[in-house]
Amino acid sequence: MAVLVRSPLPRLRALLQRCWGRLERSLWPGVFGGQNPPWGPALAVQGLALVPQGINDAGESSAEAPSLLESIVWMAAPKQRRTIEVNRCRRRHPTKLIEIKRNIDVCPECGNLKQKHVLCGYCYAKVKEETRLIRMEIHRKEGGPFNVPAVETVVLYEGEKPTEKDEGKRIIERARKRPSWFVQN
Amino acid sequence: MKLSVAAAVSHGRVYRRFGLSPRSRLDLLRNLVTALVRHERIETPWARADEMRGYAERLIDYAKRGDKDDRAMRMADFWLTEKDLIHKLFKVLAPRFQPHPGSYTRLLQIPNRDGLDRAKMAVIELKGNPLPPLVRPRRDSDKTLLNQLLKGYRQDAQRAAAP
Repeated sequence: MAVLVRSPLPRLRALLQRCWGRLERSLWPGVFGGQNPPWGPALAVQGLALVPQGINDAGESSAEAPSLLESIVWMAAPKQRRTIEVNRCRRRHPTKLIEIKRNIDVCPECGNLKQKHVLCGYCYAKVKEETRLIRMEIHRKEGGPFNVPAVETVVLYEGEKPTEKDEGKRIIERARKRPSWFVQN
Repeated sequence: MKLSVAAAVSHGRVYRRFGLSPRSRLDLLRNLVTALVRHERIETPWARADEMRGYAERLIDYAKRGDKDDRAMRMADFWLTEKDLIHKLFKVLAPRFQPHPGSYTRLLQIPNRDGLDRAKMAVIELKGNPLPPLVRPRRDSDKTLLNQLLKGYRQDAQRAAAP
């Protein structure tokens, strides 16, 4: 945790500096021989490793049984080769196989395949394209952003007139024949 | 006696986790609600649509109270980030859904997204929107075997009852 010492008291700061100096001198006695500041980039020197025992004990350790230090490198490994029969049992277990889907049906509109609980991809793509074109018309009519009118909208195709139900509504015109799947109501 | 404990298990938790934090989850859902009110039909991952549905329907319930109501206006002000949609909510959507007691949205699943994640997608729309319908209501055809047999039975019953 960083301690923010703004040193409101100059005496406190002097005390801390003296303590730090003493600590440094005690830990690294050779370095601090009269240099101020002591730290700067220096060559990296490889420190001494632990006292090398190998010179004396080389002869002895090779004759000994593997000591405790070497036994930590034991790791688990298979003892026997798994036969192909055992392998087949594991690989072909029902839980490992891909489940077959039994909920695929034919879409009654277009004849493509669809899942029972999901919308037909082809029919949805058709509707999505038409919505995109309608939204382009809306965007053109509104002109700019944040211009949503406070009235309902109705979409009319070529040759259609607004009925009395579409009294106060905003009319969006699409320049094509009405598609069979978009029923006017 | 401990009455409530923040368990590491999530048994019984109803709200999903989205985004970076609870506030970010609300912002995400708020964006989706705004988009739904603006476009009346949006396509988004299924989990987000499902989560957003409850908030959207409650917002419409608040809007049905009328725009003179202070709480309703504050709710609309928070949930709709684009302020021209507040007018649309109170003047268009509230009268549209006045006769309905609830369930103003329709949530339908779509084929998985085309990208690498193959996410489960859904389309959520407000009922009564002017856009082309997603699902055509299928009338039972008269040509199916069961209907033909029932038709024959009805005709036989009529012929027996006539004289």
